[in-house]
Parts: sequence; structure tokens; C-alpha cells
Amino acid sequence: MTEFRLTAPRRRVRWIRRVGVVAQVAGATLATLLFIAPILWMISTALKTGNQAFSATPQILVAPTFENFTHVFTASAFGSALTVSAFAATVSTLLALVIGAGVAYPLARRPGAVQQQVAFWILSLRILPPIVIIIPLFLLFRSVGLTGTVWSLIILYTFMNLPLTIWLLRGFFADLPVEIEEAAYVDGASKLRTFLDVTLPLTLPGAISTGLLAFIFAWNEFLFANVLTGASTRTAPVALTEFVNPVSIEWNNIMSAGTLVVLPVWIFALAVQRYLVRGMTMGAVK
Amino acid sequence: MSSTTIPKARRGSGSPLNRVIRRYGWLVPMIPGMAFLIAISVYPTLYSLNASFYRWNLAASARRSLTGFRNYELLLSDPSFWHSVVVTLVYVAFVVALELTIGLVLALLFFRRFPSDHFLRALLILPMVVAPVVVGLLWRYMLNPRFGIVSYLMSLVGLPRVDFLGDPALALPTLIVIDVWQWTPFTFLILLAALQGVPEDVIEAARIDGARSMRILFDHILPMIRYPVAVALVLRLLDAFRVYDIIYMTTRGGPIDATQTLSWQIYDLGFKSFDIGYAAAYSWLMLILVVAISTVALAILFRKTDFA
Repeated sequence: MTEFRLTAPRRRVRWIRRVGVVAQVAGATLATLLFIAPILWMISTALKTGNQAFSATPQILVAPTFENFTHVFTASAFGSALTVSAFAATVSTLLALVIGAGVAYPLARRPGAVQQQVAFWILSLRILPPIVIIIPLFLLFRSVGLTGTVWSLIILYTFMNLPLTIWLLRGFFADLPVEIEEAAYVDGASKLRTFLDVTLPLTLPGAISTGLLAFIFAWNEFLFANVLTGASTRTAPVALTEFVNPVSIEWNNIMSAGTLVVLPVWIFALAVQRYLVRGMTMGAVK
Repeated sequence: MSSTTIPKARRGSGSPLNRVIRRYGWLVPMIPGMAFLIAISVYPTLYSLNASFYRWNLAASARRSLTGFRNYELLLSDPSFWHSVVVTLVYVAFVVALELTIGLVLALLFFRRFPSDHFLRALLILPMVVAPVVVGLLWRYMLNPRFGIVSYLMSLVGLPRVDFLGDPALALPTLIVIDVWQWTPFTFLILLAALQGVPEDVIEAARIDGARSMRILFDHILPMIRYPVAVALVLRLLDAFRVYDIIYMTTRGGPIDATQTLSWQIYDLGFKSFDIGYAAAYSWLMLILVVAISTVALAILFRKTDFA
């Protein structure tokens, strides 16, 4: 930097830098617009009438209508699909958090070679493509009468999210100084009490972000839901496919249903923005 | 009560049972989670391995019969298997390369702070949390040759209307573009976090040495962030291999067989032809391929850059 300042007149450098910032802001804004344009198009289509949505010359939204949203709720089973999705995602997330904490805490507090191996085995489960395990699991669930129930989904979503919750919680537990726990332990609290009264409240922000991430993954999941759910237990992503039929595709209704699927997880994603990278890389990148 | 006597009192009697609890008690909370993980990962993979040695079709009336390596022999001499290996590899290679490159360019654009950068970043991450099913439907709508916005925009600049998802030559590239749209924000976030972790003085020192910015990037910065780059690469690699949702919503393996990925083929065999034995052998070959490629990718990435 100093080299440049010595050679170029100061005023020119400042001018170049200002142009640089303007170009940077312009480039970043343009890139962002490019990436969110499809999303804006989805939301605006959700607020259009059927005729506008099918127009050969795409219409810019003028008078938004919420007709599609009422239609989606009243004329189809999409409302109940959203409920199933919320139930499956919530229960599996809570299970993954509780069971995951049971694995994560000992891994964080008793580091060792074997524990490291176990942790990496858990991480390596991400390599397993879902399509590879779903056929045997479908046959198994069918033989015990679990297909068509929401519980089959809850089992698989818990499994799917366990490596995530274990790795993230392990990181959050390890970040907590062990001295804090020892102080409570010495004061006469049992191990379980110490965990519940000291460790848990202090790692709660991390645990909540972990939970929100797990919820997002379960909420968006499609393959397991498509294979395992029945008519009354469809999740929202599966129910979306029903707006597509050979006779007609109700694009305006699909887009409003799609907006309904996407809206809650956007709010969650923005809430956990700070942990998003950490979460999506299993804590590998902080 | 002094602190030294309490743990002693809590230790209780020295009976064998107590000693076992004291030694291994910390393992108890791990049991449900580990049992769950082992059961649901090991059972299906071993089940598939076993099934892959049988001729076993749920739709056929014949009972299943042991055939040894017959399914694997059939697969390896089946042109449609090799076709879907090629389709999948093309998809994975382009998706990973494009997402890392564009992600890096975006990260460099956001690297220096500027007004409203946090706001733009919050908007940029939205595509990656859209359910892939919704992504597929949204793009199918936008790419519709009759009333889609993309066709319309193309006609404005004098280009012909193109059926992107219906043209066998264009369907796979189109799916790649859709994946790049959804997941570049992910590589962008990882690379941005990585770049912001590079110490300022490294860049400063290189600059004083008279290095040009491209040289600084390739010689100094990229080797320093090779670990996050490897993480982004492997995660995208694994996810790209399992692409299914978007295909289900757009091309369903077509037109003809242009987008028959491995995942799609296995789904087709298992849930449409009910050919369990063949699908199981297919699954195992896919698993071997995924493990091999991610191992090789990691090995290359770390050997090539470790001396830097």
C-alpha cells in the first residue's frame, strides 16, 4: 500500500478507490439481484390471477391478489400437508437434539483417539446417498406397518439430522470452559443437574440454531417423504406435486403454495445467519 | 465441607457394580444415538449387499433366487448404467466447478466491506434454503417455452423461444444452471468466511513485494484457504451425486434419457420396476463410486497444496 502512495499522487489514488467501491457495490448488487430474481418472480406470480400467470407476455404485478392463497387452503389439502410437515420436522428436530446431545456431550468432554474415530464415522454417514438406503428401509417399514405414517418420516429425519446435531453440539459443548461445570459439580450438583442447570442454559443459543437448521433440512426433504407418506400424511413438498397434473398445471396456485413452503424457513435462515456456514459444513468452517 | 471430601463421599462403596458405573457411566447417554445411527446406516447397506446377489423382483411372480454376481455382471455390461454414470459425472463436475468459481468471484466481490453488504448477503443466501421441490417447479415455470419469463426475455433480444427442459441436448445443462443458482450462495458463504480469516498482513506483505492481485490470490490466498475450499467441494460433490428432487419436478430422467442420473435410475428400478436385486447392486456400485471420488478429490486437494 505504502509503495502505491509514494508513486501515485494522493488525490488520484483516492479517486480510483472511490470508483473501486462504486464498482464493487454495483457488482454485488447486480449479482444479488440475479440470484433473487427467480424468488421475486415466484412471489409476484403467487399474487397474480391465473390469466396473468399464463400470459404469453409476462405481466408485471400491479394489483396483488391473495386469492391463490385462500384457494390453496380451501380447495386442496395443502393446509393439512403444512401441518404434517411442521409436526414431522419439529418432532424429529427435538429428537435429534436430545439424542444428539447425549452423544455430543461425552465426545466433547472426554476427547480421545477412539472418540475422534467415532466422531468421524458419524460425519462419514453424510456420504451415504439417501437413495441407497431408502429401498431397504421402505421394505422394512412396510413389513412393520410404518409406511404411510408420519412416524416413519420422523425416524428417518432424526437419523438424517443426527450427524448435524452431534457435530454442532459437540463444538458448542467443547467451546464451554470445563471449569464452569466443575464449579457447579464441586458445589454438590450431580452430573445430570450440572448439565441441565449449567451446561444447557449456556449452550442454548447454539442448540437453538442447530435445531433451526435441522428443522430446515427436515422441512425441505422430499425423497423420503415421497416414498413413505400416504394420502393423509403427505408433507408440504409432496403435496406440491399434486398441483401438477396431466390436465393442467395451476402455476399461480403452485407459486403461492411454494411461497408458503419457503417463507418459514427463510425466517429461520435469517435468524441463524451467523451459524449458517458452521451448520451447513457440520462445524468444519466457522 | 472441603472440596476434597465431597467427590470421595460421592464415590460410594467400591463394589464391582459401582466401579463399572464409575468407569463406563459416561458412555450411557451415547447409547440411544449410536444405536440409532448404526441401525439405520448399517441395516440398509447390508440388506442391499445381500439383496444384490439375488434375482428378486417384487412385481414378478417368481420367488427370489440366488444368482451370485449376476446382477453386477448385467449392470457392468448395461449401456444405460454407463450412460447414467456419465450423466452423473458430467453433472457433478460442472456443478462443483461452476459453484466454486462463481462462489469465489462473489466472495472476492464482498470481501472488502461496503455499505449495505450485510443486507445483500442476507438476500443472497435465500436460494439455498428454498425447498429443492419448489426450485424445480419455479424454474419449470420460468423456462416454459410458451409463457415463461426466460423465453420472453430471450425473444426481446431477438432469440428464438427454446424448450430448455424438453430438448435432449439442453436438459442437462439447464439442470446444472438450476443447481448452480441454488447452491452458489453456499460456496460463496464458505469462501467469504474463509477469505475473511486470511490475515491482513499476508496480503499486505505480498503487495509490498510487488505481486499483482491475481498472483496474490493464486499464490498466497488460495493455498491458505484450501481447507474450507476442500470442505465446500466435498459437500457439494456429495449433494450433487444425490440429485433427485429437481429432476423429479422437471425432467423425470428425460427427455429420452438425457438426465438419467444414478439416483434417478435407482429410484426408477426400485419404485417403478420393483427390481429390488438389480436396484441393490446399482446402489452398491453408486456407493463405491461416491466414496472413491470423494476420497480421490480430498487426496488430490491436500497433496497438491500441502507444500505451499
